[in-house]
Amino acid sequence: MTIPTLRLTNVAKTFTTGGGSVRALEPISLDIRQGEFISVIGPSGCGKSTLMNIVGGLIDDYEGEVQVDGVPVRGCHKSIGMVFQEESTFPWRTALDNVAFPMEALGVEREERLSRARDLLKLVGLDGFEQRFPSELSGGMRQRIAIARTLAFQPRILLMDEPFAALDEQTRLLLGDKVLQIQQELSQTTMLITHNIAEAVQLSDRVLIMSFRPGRIKRVLEIDLPRPRSSKMMGGERFGHYVAAIWEDLREEASKGLQEMERLRAGV
Amino acid sequence: MAAVEQIGRAGRAAPHPFWTVGRLRVAALVVIFALWEIAGASGLFYRGVLPSSYLVVWALLGLLTSLDFWFHAGVTGLEVLVAFVLGCSAGALAGLMLGANRYVGAVLEPFLHYLAPTPKIVFLPILLILFGVGMGSKIALGAISSFFPMALGVAAGVRQVNPVLLRVGRTFSLSRFQMVRMIYLPALVPSLATGLRIGLGISIVGCLMSEIKLSRMGLGFSAMEYYRVFDIPSMLAVLIFIFFCAALGNVAIDKFVRLPGPHDRQKRKWSGFTRRFT
Repeated sequence: MTIPTLRLTNVAKTFTTGGGSVRALEPISLDIRQGEFISVIGPSGCGKSTLMNIVGGLIDDYEGEVQVDGVPVRGCHKSIGMVFQEESTFPWRTALDNVAFPMEALGVEREERLSRARDLLKLVGLDGFEQRFPSELSGGMRQRIAIARTLAFQPRILLMDEPFAALDEQTRLLLGDKVLQIQQELSQTTMLITHNIAEAVQLSDRVLIMSFRPGRIKRVLEIDLPRPRSSKMMGGERFGHYVAAIWEDLREEASKGLQEMERLRAGV
Repeated sequence: MAAVEQIGRAGRAAPHPFWTVGRLRVAALVVIFALWEIAGASGLFYRGVLPSSYLVVWALLGLLTSLDFWFHAGVTGLEVLVAFVLGCSAGALAGLMLGANRYVGAVLEPFLHYLAPTPKIVFLPILLILFGVGMGSKIALGAISSFFPMALGVAAGVRQVNPVLLRVGRTFSLSRFQMVRMIYLPALVPSLATGLRIGLGISIVGCLMSEIKLSRMGLGFSAMEYYRVFDIPSMLAVLIFIFFCAALGNVAIDKFVRLPGPHDRQKRKWSGFTRRFT
């Protein structure tokens, strides 16, 4: 039996605040195998970011256990790399130096880290922009730098928290193609948090649909579309079938979330 | 610097093609000089209060060639330098601690905040008792003056470091020292530069004020001496010299304390500077 690259066993989280406690995440168990691409999709407030922060080590007081290659891990870890939703490039570093950042922290020699950073920039399609500063590049290019920078850390698992949320639809689709290509070349195990259904179907081997608060896995859907994939598949009949199936499950949860939000806003 | 650049850029689309920003600046200087001369010659002011500019230039040349002047300039320069270095480094350290520790910050920052705008010259009597009439009390006043803006600026800067960048650092398993060196320090460069610029100005103010109040040497002292014997051209020449040195200091800070960025690519330097005037 092969050991899964990432294994979650009964991972749960309750936030305690001054007023009381909120159950953010019901116990979740999950195995992700080497090279697999998993998407976690759910309405706002379903705890998907909490899940991501637990796996990434940014939250470390949780219940249950996270294992990488069969070894329990807690806290930030060399085998897990994260890409954030927000703008996260270092504005005082060039594209090349941004990508070289984690290698600099690990003590990789200058020549080697720059040549590897150059290769990674090429991989995300930014060759020729090595000496540009983030302020001179578009949002999509900056997010690609952030992805290349996390890849430079050579993580076993790549976690991405809605990395394209701030981008327009077309850029998002093209970047999705880029991510697919990278994942194929590196056979990178990836976990993506998203609220975009088409994105989840386009990229994933499996889609985890989460329920509204407290978050739990409502359904796991295998996406049985052939690889290599691209955004061109979006018009296909089976693609549409998966999108509809996910929306079927998600609609109920999303409307619960919406009602909750409106109640909160109205102060009831 | 950025603000100056901004004005320059806006000026390039000036309403009149001849009046470029550079030419207008030169013209402004000429107009100020002319007004000065006219006012001085008009007889509206008490004789000698507004001497003709060439008298001032003459006095300045006289000062620059006298050893005595350079002694006083050296004394003030040393005072300002030591006060600036002491005050700013203490301020930067205090700011880092205030910003890094929320409790220390919450307890102490209100004091700093309300003490910062009070004129530090009120401490002079105490400092004179503590450090004597010599350079010590001047340095102390200058250092105390520059401490506050630096401490408050850096404390605010630490709290404004983009939290996402800190999370990036954590996910890359950076050590505490690496966090400071690779994220906090570069992110703090703008606040440090502002702190240094204000600190320099204010430590000059502190040193000169205390020199003017009570001293036997330094530029503040010589300015007061010239005032006492009513040598207004020499007094003005000292002030112009001080003004010029302070401006040079600011230029140096702007040039050396800044983050790498796209502006590095536009190698304008002096050639571009002179080109804009011609």
